[in-house]
Amino acid sequence: MSIKILNSPIFASIQDIGRFSFSNIGVTTSGVMDEYAYFMANQLLENKKDENIIEVYYSNFNFIVNCNTQIAITGAYCEVYINKQLKPTWQTYSLKKGDIVEVSKLLSGCIVYIGIKNGIKIPKQFGSYSTSIKEKIGGIDGRLLKKGDILPIENICSFNKRKISSKYLPKYKEELQLRVILSYQEEYFTKEQKNKFFSSIYTISNEFNRMACKLKGEKIDCEIDGVISEAISFGAIQIPKDGQPIILLKERQTIGGYPKIGTVLTIDCFKLAQLRPNMKIKFKEISLNEAQKKLKEFYNSFS
Amino acid sequence: MKIKASSADTLIIYFSNKIEEQTSLKVMRAYNNLLDLHLEGIFEIIPSYTSIYIHYDILFYDFLLLKQILEEKLDLNSALENNSKFINIDVYYGLDVGFDLEQISKKTAISIDEIIKIHSSKIYNVYAIGFLPGFAYLGNVSKKIDISRLDTPRKIVPKGSVAIANSQTAVYPQDSPGGWNIIGKTTYNFFNKDLKNLSNIKVGDKIKFNPISKDEFLKQKGVI
Repeated sequence: MSIKILNSPIFASIQDIGRFSFSNIGVTTSGVMDEYAYFMANQLLENKKDENIIEVYYSNFNFIVNCNTQIAITGAYCEVYINKQLKPTWQTYSLKKGDIVEVSKLLSGCIVYIGIKNGIKIPKQFGSYSTSIKEKIGGIDGRLLKKGDILPIENICSFNKRKISSKYLPKYKEELQLRVILSYQEEYFTKEQKNKFFSSIYTISNEFNRMACKLKGEKIDCEIDGVISEAISFGAIQIPKDGQPIILLKERQTIGGYPKIGTVLTIDCFKLAQLRPNMKIKFKEISLNEAQKKLKEFYNSFS
Repeated sequence: MKIKASSADTLIIYFSNKIEEQTSLKVMRAYNNLLDLHLEGIFEIIPSYTSIYIHYDILFYDFLLLKQILEEKLDLNSALENNSKFINIDVYYGLDVGFDLEQISKKTAISIDEIIKIHSSKIYNVYAIGFLPGFAYLGNVSKKIDISRLDTPRKIVPKGSVAIANSQTAVYPQDSPGGWNIIGKTTYNFFNKDLKNLSNIKVGDKIKFNPISKDEFLKQKGVI
């Protein structure tokens, strides 16, 4: 009982909420880039909240099932064909032995999530299913998924058909406003530099992956060159010497020494993950209180 | 001790703004004490040179609540339990693996033998782990061989390479790009998927390097 990958995906891996409690020895937390799409897929399937999922960059993921199962596809909007029949996303699909699923042309967004009822039956490694490419741990041998991979799943016979109501469907825009909590070394950025930071439009560069998103735009100066290496939060904004902001994401290094002006609100990092190079972003300040309220609302809505 | 919010659900405790052994001891005391407190709803605790970072569950705490708990409960004067390890690491300091030895000798006007002696006669503290899994920042290297990073980092530094940069020394736990000066090689594994805890090393451990011959290195299955 399994699914078999039929094509060569561009960049797909097995992920979950992340690998915690090994960062003290330098192991990245990893985990899904877009937690909203991830939680929604598991909710559609009535899976455990932290069940594993297939994270597919740029779509292009075809597979065949050799048992009955149920899947849910969320994240980036794309053309999904089941036995050559076009289906909408953000809903569950019941599959029977021999069905072929093609996750095809991207319409908007960047990362597609394929959830499977009760998850892929692989063991957790060091507390998580997440593939962490740099460390070569988690997922399938710590690597990206490839053509011919056989992923064990459960045979499921009873289904509940479900879909996400349109008011909860995300919109993937070409421009995004990211809310920022001023923090870390913010006192080493003058008022003028902060104003510049919050009033400029930045372009996403080609250096955008699971580790970080490097931006191009107005140069931001910092009064210090670097700091004594310290741990880096998800969403932290480093300002290296060239003044071009770098937003650190799920597969970031655990510690680093560049000055940081603040941190992008977690929820907005999930939206950022769905953008692509050359798209635009703007920063907007948010108070710590407000940021905590928003984050609490987000996690409460899934607990 | 200064506690600052670093994001909506993380905070950072600063103990000083200087790298020194006293600060490292403070960090260690606080880190061990934090682990002993077994606070619920904590995802990550990452100690570094002068700070400790905490990633917490936003459904358990907000910043002010956790800050208050830490200020009340964190005991910086608790005796440091002696759970730190003393690790002896065999190093082959040969020109065929220590690619930068000659250059360092030229720059410092110290003979290669003397550089090896200086590097291997000190006991180093593990101040921080990061950059790569199991990459331990060790200090402090003698001022005599305090040498800055390479102008252009190497695309690949082989796993096990022993390196120095300024007052720090480290072993590359895996093949990786890197800009530190390479002076030798070891077969000691700092990070290994087969290990129970993934790592052989933690902040607070002490390390001494022992020079070994090429024959011994090869006997330990070292690769030139």
